[in-house]
Amino acid sequence: MTNETISILGLFDSDDAAAVAIRNLKKSSWSVERVHSPVPSPKIMNALNVKKSRVGWFTLAGGILGFLAGFGLAVFSATRWNLIVGGKPVVAWVPFFIVGFEFTILFAVMGNIIGLLTLARLPQFRPPGPVDPGFSGARFGVIATCARSQETDLSHFFRDNGATVMTVEKPTG
Amino acid sequence: METRQPFHITTRFLIPIFLAFMLVGTVTFILQVSGDHPEKAWRTYLINFLMFSAMAQGGLLFSVVMNTVNARWSRPLNTVSESFAAFFPVSFLLFLILFLGSGHVFPWLHENLHGKEVWLNLPFLFVRNAAGMLVLYGIGLAYLYHSLWFKLSSDVTGRWFQDLLIRHWYRRRPDPEQYRRRMTIFGNLYILAFTLVLSLIGFDLVMSMDPHWYSTLFGAYTFVKAFYVGLGAVIILAAILHLNPQVAFALQPSQFHDIGKLFFAFCMLWGDFFYVQLVVIWYGNIPEETAYLIQRTMTPPWNILAWTVFLTGFIIPFLILINKTVKTMPKSMILICLTVMVAIWLEHMLLLGPVYAPHAARLPFQASDGLISMGFLGLMAVSITTFFNQFPELIQRKPAEVTG
Amino acid sequence: MAELTCDSIDNTVLDTLQPPSRFYWLLIAFLFMGVLLGAGCWLYQIVTGIGVGGQNNPVHWGIYLVNFVFWVGIAHSGTLISAILHLFRAGWRNPIARAAETMTIFAVCVAGLFPFIHLGRVWVVFYMLPIPTQRTLWPNFTSPLMFDVVAISTYLMVSAAFWYTGMLPDLATVRDRASGTRKKIFQVLSLGWTGTHEQWRHYARGYLFFASLATPLVISVHSVVSWDFALGVVPGWHTTIFAPYFVAGAIHSGLAMVLTLMIPLRKIFKYEAIITVSVLENVAKTIVFTGIIVGFAYGTELFIAWYSHNVVEMETFRWRIFGDYSLEYWIMVICNTLIPLLFLFQKIRTRIPWLFGLSLLINVGMWYERFVIIIGSVAHDFVPYTWGLYRPSLIELGIMFGSFCLFFFLFVLFVKHLPSVSMTEMKETLFAGDHHDQ
Repeated sequence: MTNETISILGLFDSDDAAAVAIRNLKKSSWSVERVHSPVPSPKIMNALNVKKSRVGWFTLAGGILGFLAGFGLAVFSATRWNLIVGGKPVVAWVPFFIVGFEFTILFAVMGNIIGLLTLARLPQFRPPGPVDPGFSGARFGVIATCARSQETDLSHFFRDNGATVMTVEKPTG
Repeated sequence: METRQPFHITTRFLIPIFLAFMLVGTVTFILQVSGDHPEKAWRTYLINFLMFSAMAQGGLLFSVVMNTVNARWSRPLNTVSESFAAFFPVSFLLFLILFLGSGHVFPWLHENLHGKEVWLNLPFLFVRNAAGMLVLYGIGLAYLYHSLWFKLSSDVTGRWFQDLLIRHWYRRRPDPEQYRRRMTIFGNLYILAFTLVLSLIGFDLVMSMDPHWYSTLFGAYTFVKAFYVGLGAVIILAAILHLNPQVAFALQPSQFHDIGKLFFAFCMLWGDFFYVQLVVIWYGNIPEETAYLIQRTMTPPWNILAWTVFLTGFIIPFLILINKTVKTMPKSMILICLTVMVAIWLEHMLLLGPVYAPHAARLPFQASDGLISMGFLGLMAVSITTFFNQFPELIQRKPAEVTG
Repeated sequence: MAELTCDSIDNTVLDTLQPPSRFYWLLIAFLFMGVLLGAGCWLYQIVTGIGVGGQNNPVHWGIYLVNFVFWVGIAHSGTLISAILHLFRAGWRNPIARAAETMTIFAVCVAGLFPFIHLGRVWVVFYMLPIPTQRTLWPNFTSPLMFDVVAISTYLMVSAAFWYTGMLPDLATVRDRASGTRKKIFQVLSLGWTGTHEQWRHYARGYLFFASLATPLVISVHSVVSWDFALGVVPGWHTTIFAPYFVAGAIHSGLAMVLTLMIPLRKIFKYEAIITVSVLENVAKTIVFTGIIVGFAYGTELFIAWYSHNVVEMETFRWRIFGDYSLEYWIMVICNTLIPLLFLFQKIRTRIPWLFGLSLLINVGMWYERFVIIIGSVAHDFVPYTWGLYRPSLIELGIMFGSFCLFFFLFVLFVKHLPSVSMTEMKETLFAGDHHDQ
């Protein structure tokens, strides 16, 4: 046989069942390709043992940049004329901190969005594989790959773990 | 049979140490009061009275607030929080003693107050603050009484206070529903009394020391600060108990994380309240407000202290506590909370110091400040140790059963 | 309570997106007429001049500014509910978070209009932007009005982004139940969300950061609004408590508006199983809390004015209580601090008509609070020679009416076109109990 592989999608009704299946899959020779869920599920995340998202670094970078930008903007526009207004110093820490603060939040949020979009690869108008409308309803989908020859074994595995096997998808690689 | 209980072994040698602390503090205080500068002794006394009372008042507030919002994660921490109520009677006594030195404590006694005497006179000030504290402490202890009923088993333990309560409850046969309801009511009243009485203390014992200065936020600033300090104290005590292998008390990392987040939130709130007053006064720049601020934040020697307070009380804990992992590590939390405690102590010094040393050329710190503070620390430690000694089972229960 | 399931949640929420009835379009038409009326008044003001309003010397800031602060205040509870309660893991926020966030965005939009309206010559608004022009003038960032520009626009952008991010999974749900063009539109709107674990991994983390950033932002925004007043040296304005006091007041009014909007919403859309009475009860309890803070601030202001023995301060507050605007003052005190205390009684806070009626009164009270502060303080400051009174003109009232219509117009449009309850967060509650760890 060639080393052609196929993907099989198992649908589950709860994240508990999906998490159990994922753990069992990890012990097997097959590999988990993707998991779809309608809600963020810590149980599934634990079973998949995924790393913490790095979105935070984008947020942090945005925040630091924002503070510098806000404070810098205030200093820049104050020094264009260098006039003392209302008896306050031209470059005044107390009020400029507020401008810096607001920009910190704004840029941090922008960084957060950029991080979210790039890391989660959104927008993604072409679905990555077989999708079921239940993924946004009440169904949890686990997609695993195996060699074509093991199709029935994997299907049985899913069925034993309480899933309804839905699709056997396109040969890849 | 008693000695088999591990906690008892620990307290055996702890109590003498704390008593020694107290002795050192008392002796230093008496020596300084009878010396040339009694006002310095009274200033340190006042700062410590405010500081340690705030720890106790804010410490208990944690349990009360958690009970009010029906939080389940905090149950083992509630016990720690409630132990701080043991300091209430001591705090009230310390308040009474404060008035022995009223001539040194209240600088405005010798000033013309231009009509403010209606509020700022010694008898009225004493009566209203004493009454306020009695109400606050009374409600707090009533809350504790009802809370203890849910926590203590009905076995006789040989600790006279617990047995007293248990015999009392045995006769009474309390109704759980009713006790639950009363606990909620006393809890809500405690929160209300906390805000009002701490505002009063803030206005009367700190703000009015400079009788010409006023800031409307000062009351709220005082109680936010007290809760900040109280949370710090609860974390320190919980971490010490957690780290002590002889005590069965232990916490999950998530519980340290959650109370750490609360501490972080109050760190920011305290910083916010500090800044909010600063910005309004800085902008207005009107004489009766701004002189106070200029003396404390812009002119030496106090400006160094102001920056120290700002860095150690807000900036440093803020930057460190952004990190999640730090909040789950008891040892580092002890360190951070201690830093904050010292910062708030210095902040009291910043607010009160210039009143007692108006023309100081350098910061008026002395060794006696530390020794007197040690005495207060000893007092608080003795109160809490005695509390746990009387109710040993509070910290011998496995936390698993109380996390719910 | 009937057992909620994923399907029942989806069906209840998606049913609200069915083609609307004739009554709905009538309502939309009525509200739109109101918006037109307001716009007409504004146009008249632009053509004739700012003098058509009631502003005078010394009261330069009329109800345009009152409405500005009022609407910014309304905006605040949306973020409180969606961000702060998310951080505190209060499960009862989930059913109302979406609607409250939407309310935030529309309220900020409406609020943002008022400085423009108040400006008179609205086309010179670009003077406040830091852009190089041939005038070589730059905005002065020591001015609290510039803080406002920065803070309010940041708030609008951040809350809109927060709202949209929170809606992504729900948009995918709508897409998966739709067909034809509608499906295509929602495919684009949902950015092709399919709920893969990679998406969720970053999404959950990003959402947490959103919430953590929105929390200090919301506090800063109303602090900045309060500093429009507190940084001046007008008695009644210049006081340090203003920032926290305004923040609490903002949340107070916003929560009342949440009740005002949610009660009809759950009735019309049959959300009773999702927005339960106990959710409304929790909002009512929070209102008691914010009401007490507001009351504490009223009391402190009076006390310090008296304590200071400052003649001007004392006169300002005496006049507030007994002077020309004493009626407004008492409406404010009664509606904001005494009426919320009725929610302490379980019988009242579990009855829908009471909840609705009292929430309206609190809204009125909060509007008058801004009136008392903004107008009452400058009307009666240092020198008796400069004292004066203010009364809004019909044009101002017309614009105010238009602003209310605009807010409800936008909100009514929203509830029929986008999911007004977060299906994802409701389902999350089902799967995780109300314990969800990040």
